[in-house]
Amino acid sequence: MKFTCNKDLIIKEISIAQEIISSRNSISILSNVLLEADGNTLTIRATDLKVGFETKIPVDSTHSGSTTVYCDKFLSILRSLPDGDIEFSYLDDNRLMIKPLFNKIDFKLKSINADKYPELQNISDDKYFQIPQKEFIDMISQTIFSVSDDETRYYMNGVYLEHENNTLSMVATDGRRLSFMKTPSNAENVTFDPVIIPTKILQLIRKLSTGEGNLSLAVNENNIFIKFNNQKLFSNLIKGQFPNYKRVIPETQEYTVEVQRVALIEALKRVSLLVEQKSRRIFITFLENTIILSSEESEIGIAKEEVSCSFIGPETTIALNYLYLVEPLRVIDDDTIIIKFTEANKAITLVPTTDKGYFHIVMPMQLD
Amino acid sequence: MDAFYASIEQVDNPEYRGRPVIVGAQPGSRGVVSACSYEARSFGVHSAMPISEAFSLCRSGIFVPVRMHRYQEVSRLIMRIFDDFTPLKFQISIDEAFLDMTGTDKLFGTPKKTAEKLKASIREETGLTASVGIAPNRLLAKIASDHNKPDGLVEIKKGTEIDFLDTIRLKDIWGLGKKTLKTLQDYNITTVKQLRTLDLPTLQQLTGKSGGAFLYNASRGIDPGMYSGERKTKSISSETTFSTDTKDKESIKHILLDLSDQIMFRLTEHGYKSKTIFIKIRYTDFTTMTAQTTLPHPVRTTDEIFTTALGLFEKKWDGVSSLRLVGLGVSSVEVKKLPDQIQLFMDTEDQKSKVEKAVFSLRAKGSRVTKASLLNKEARFNR
Repeated sequence: MKFTCNKDLIIKEISIAQEIISSRNSISILSNVLLEADGNTLTIRATDLKVGFETKIPVDSTHSGSTTVYCDKFLSILRSLPDGDIEFSYLDDNRLMIKPLFNKIDFKLKSINADKYPELQNISDDKYFQIPQKEFIDMISQTIFSVSDDETRYYMNGVYLEHENNTLSMVATDGRRLSFMKTPSNAENVTFDPVIIPTKILQLIRKLSTGEGNLSLAVNENNIFIKFNNQKLFSNLIKGQFPNYKRVIPETQEYTVEVQRVALIEALKRVSLLVEQKSRRIFITFLENTIILSSEESEIGIAKEEVSCSFIGPETTIALNYLYLVEPLRVIDDDTIIIKFTEANKAITLVPTTDKGYFHIVMPMQLD
Repeated sequence: MDAFYASIEQVDNPEYRGRPVIVGAQPGSRGVVSACSYEARSFGVHSAMPISEAFSLCRSGIFVPVRMHRYQEVSRLIMRIFDDFTPLKFQISIDEAFLDMTGTDKLFGTPKKTAEKLKASIREETGLTASVGIAPNRLLAKIASDHNKPDGLVEIKKGTEIDFLDTIRLKDIWGLGKKTLKTLQDYNITTVKQLRTLDLPTLQQLTGKSGGAFLYNASRGIDPGMYSGERKTKSISSETTFSTDTKDKESIKHILLDLSDQIMFRLTEHGYKSKTIFIKIRYTDFTTMTAQTTLPHPVRTTDEIFTTALGLFEKKWDGVSSLRLVGLGVSSVEVKKLPDQIQLFMDTEDQKSKVEKAVFSLRAKGSRVTKASLLNKEARFNR
């Protein structure tokens, strides 16, 4: 195997490979990245068996072939080299030589034979359906922060993806708050049972996405598959029973409050300075056309701020974990938002003023 | 309370009265004395003494096993009597509490009269004697209550604090431990009066910053505020020494389940929360190891403690050597009640927790509801 490739081009892909490779201390074939030159295409593969990544980049190749090298060191070496083209060649003694052109530098990295490298999960092309990248990324952004990090509730450690009635929806919850977004899907002939997707793959998708054009998505019983132009990803799914989320979405809520999103975030940030940091409990009081945010009186002191809003209804105070307010407010993409509520111990809903297919539900805390 | 465990045995078994009663392990086994009656103390027996030693000192003693369940029952009864006297009660152990009686003189009369009434109520309802200390603060009240045991009543009036302190030994100051006592002796300080001649910086130089501050205040009868608020329990734990060393995993698992049940009961009883679970194992050769882990959320059920503890145990135990003791506990216990977050869904653990809370509250009222797999132990208890 012998090929020449631009430094920046290959670093971009190898650094993604390194993110996927398991960071465990023991070194094995799974610590390696696979390189396969064929014609003028280099295929790069990385996997920790749960998540896998494959990409193809154009190179100048004189000899086809393949090998695997320790990804962590490979990446460090590439990063250390001067800008320009690099020549890679597989030597007879099982080593990969890395040599920047016109420089007197040469690295020889020990390799493991490519046929020892695990196969990546695969699915037939006809299972894929298309979805605009922007839509899909929005769905991830609107939900991923609500995922539970409590490993004992593993079935909430991912985002729930559902495809029914030509609608694709994502749901995430940690049992105290819930985020939901749906988008119309034109993949009429595609059916799959709802799945729970680990956050690692979703973050990777967010990273790889340009936000333009479509991406291709396929789901089977065990895995999710994503294709960009020349990049392919797969991930295992979380096996488990996602809670019956539809049951907890309030059908109707009594009152609505409309407020400037940024004004509310800024006020929350200030008042949260004096909020008790273990419970993160903040009090939000709705008065006629006014929201009062306040902290509890503590040894340190007390904070209070008024924000104007449009609201008509009875004075109501609700106690909430302020993070559960701030996090959705950060991602809601609108100048004004609507808070819907019924009473102090019932769920509140946060939505943008103009419907964008998503909402966030937060359960309150005890008032006293 | 005076010789609390032993006195309960004497009340429950009238034939034990006036005789040396030793609560703890059985002679011939290798446990220790948990408590003993005043009659036994005159033989030189004291708590934490190996049972074999106690037996050789006091062969005529009545050796009875610990009936914790019963002592807790009596403890709750006494604490309820305290509640009749004041809502401002700070329980500091199974048989000790501080009662803030500020402003109750119209209700009960002078402090001394109140104390007499309190002692009479306890005697009437439980047949036990208590020692009461009356003082302007908790430090002095505790010292006073220890001053004239058993059945004592000592009052330190405002203004006489220093005079009183000068009559007691250094080691009688509550909170002054053996190590500090030794340090002070090394500096030729053997009386409270001598202690008071030293200024704060000097004391802090000798015994450290907080130790020095404690001594400075305590020697002046000023409460250093050890129990000035809620009790800050850092950990709750329990351990079992096997009657014979064992490597039988089933019986070890059984003990772990029993300990988990005890710990969860105590957490629930006080409304405390903890995320950190630890275990302790001791091999035959006394090599002792601990392991701990922190969950992402406070433990909710006995099962959760048990499963976590078993996981730790399996990692720590070599699987072949015999064990002398296993212990289990929770640490970083949150005693301050955090406001409850309302949940969207109830998962199975939450449901189990609800059931368990109901069971525990029955148990707290004296019912013997327990896990079926722990029934043998209950039978042993009631023997």
